Amino acid sequence: MSLLGIEDRQWISLATVVFVVAAALRAYTALKLHRKAKRPSTLMLVSFGWILQTIGLYARGLEYGGCPLSNRFELVQFMVWSAIALYIFVGPAFRVSFLGMFTSTFASVFSILSLTVRSWDSPSRIPIFGDSPWIETHAALALFSYGVFGVLALTSVMYLLQTRSLKQKKMGGLFPYMPSIFELTQINFRLLAIGFFILSASLAIGAVYWFRETESVDLPKLGTTIVVWFAYGILILLRSRQTLSYKQYSWTCIAVFATALLSLEAVDQPKAKESPLLDSTPTARSP
Amino acid sequence: MSTYHGELLLITINHETVSLEKRERYSLDDVQIKMLYEALHRSPMLEESLILNTCNRFELYSKTSDPKNGGAIAFKTLASFYNVQREEIESHARIRFGREVIKHLIEVSAGLRSQITGEAEIFGQVKKAYATCQRLGYSGRLINRMVQKGFQAAKLIRHSTQIGEGQINISNVAVDLSLKIFGSLKNTSALVVGTGEIGEKTVKALKSRGASNFGVASHHSGRADEIADKWGGIPHALGELETYLNDYDIIISSSETDSPLLDARSLAKHMNARKNRPLFLIDLGLPRNMDASCQEIENVYLYNLDDLAKIATDNLSERRAAIKQSEKIAAQKSASIWQMLESRGLVNFQ
Repeated sequence: MSLLGIEDRQWISLATVVFVVAAALRAYTALKLHRKAKRPSTLMLVSFGWILQTIGLYARGLEYGGCPLSNRFELVQFMVWSAIALYIFVGPAFRVSFLGMFTSTFASVFSILSLTVRSWDSPSRIPIFGDSPWIETHAALALFSYGVFGVLALTSVMYLLQTRSLKQKKMGGLFPYMPSIFELTQINFRLLAIGFFILSASLAIGAVYWFRETESVDLPKLGTTIVVWFAYGILILLRSRQTLSYKQYSWTCIAVFATALLSLEAVDQPKAKESPLLDSTPTARSP
Repeated sequence: MSTYHGELLLITINHETVSLEKRERYSLDDVQIKMLYEALHRSPMLEESLILNTCNRFELYSKTSDPKNGGAIAFKTLASFYNVQREEIESHARIRFGREVIKHLIEVSAGLRSQITGEAEIFGQVKKAYATCQRLGYSGRLINRMVQKGFQAAKLIRHSTQIGEGQINISNVAVDLSLKIFGSLKNTSALVVGTGEIGEKTVKALKSRGASNFGVASHHSGRADEIADKWGGIPHALGELETYLNDYDIIISSSETDSPLLDARSLAKHMNARKNRPLFLIDLGLPRNMDASCQEIENVYLYNLDDLAKIATDNLSERRAAIKQSEKIAAQKSASIWQMLESRGLVNFQ
């Protein structure tokens, strides 16, 4: 659907270009000019991209009369949108320098991927949430938590890069521009707690509907959803008890997020039986 | 060929022109600065003035209506004020004219002329000096334009070059690394083992960045008490290191020892109890106080004297490149400011 004469995908493509420019500019400023880019400039650029993406998703949503979460392209876009929203609205409170570059790189990679693989944006999909705004909320929250976990994976990468630089005594590259490892460990725990809370809320909403009609969700979807939720739950427990080292914790955050992303594949499979009621994961309903 | 522009002059006495013991006598407090302004402006030849007085430099920027004799008048007034022979003060000072004055002001404000090249504090000091000068009414159109444009150029240098980036002495490199590990030093505690000069400087540098919890360990308890009194902190016997090791986040060691104080095996026992709290080991000792194997332990960051010196040297070479770049900007900007002053008829009027 077009809005202001521009198609939804074109809005999203424009947003992707802005994310790429933001990431490239920040990296160029640090690595080539050896300067710290001002946070407001990155924030403004990323916010501009996010607005363009919001318009694109809104245009798509108008077509469905609901959240645009009907295929893998939209799922990925919504996850990227969530990660960027987190950076814009919560990021300044975290005061993690260089998060903007990592988040815009994350957004660029996933957005380009979803735009490139045409089959992800299957036009034959139908709106997946029926008349229930609660199920729509369930899916939107779940994907938002994926966005949070995406940012968590990024800050985990930042932690691993910083500790590697400190261990190997290599002070070049991005090292001078990134936050301290202490700050990164703090932010990682907060992100995990926020993401887990949102995912739990989403699943609680979904569970209410699932209990009403257990056949509405296929086993692979249910299984992967539970695995992802448990994985983050265990991670939060281990982190609270300091059972894992920060290095192990960071690698686990990256691995679990990768698994969560792969779970989108499982949840995006066509269902054996269509239900008018719901889907129980951050999922698409298949046609 | 450059033209003589005596209408704008600078007299500077600084660490490049004279030794510390001689430049000490030119240091002024606020009352004395006011008195010097008054003394200078008793002469109608000096129309505008700006006095910059820091721990390392005394500088007088002046606009004179008598370009040929302005320098002599200023020196005569200064000699009288400081109660020294004019020849003596002339031998301690450098005098500059015209656009060189503007270039100098830009370089001073940007930290290029500081003893620690690139330090940022000087910019605030120049701003404060200018504010005083304005408040007392000794600045006019020339000084105002020159200083305001000079500040812009100095800011440009600091923002567009790496002049202020990276520490170039070992103590500050250690502090920077501490900040990269702990973020803030407010809640970190440091243990000083041994009492070497670099150790003392590192403690001072850590304190200046907010660290307040210190311990001092020595082979001799009397010595530990003495240093703890002097530097502040809790005295410890070095022989009992393992009993209080976990109370500290940073260990700065420069003890004379035949065998390493810590190695991977002894540290590994403590790391579980630390619950992922990082440990930063700064080994300034020769022979080394910490076994290199400590570095293998997760959450332990070991830097010895060579490591810190290498970082400082790398930073210095980067800073040298930045100095050249900054000087080029200062030269370009001073030329354009001079041109602007000329176009407004503020200089070049003889």
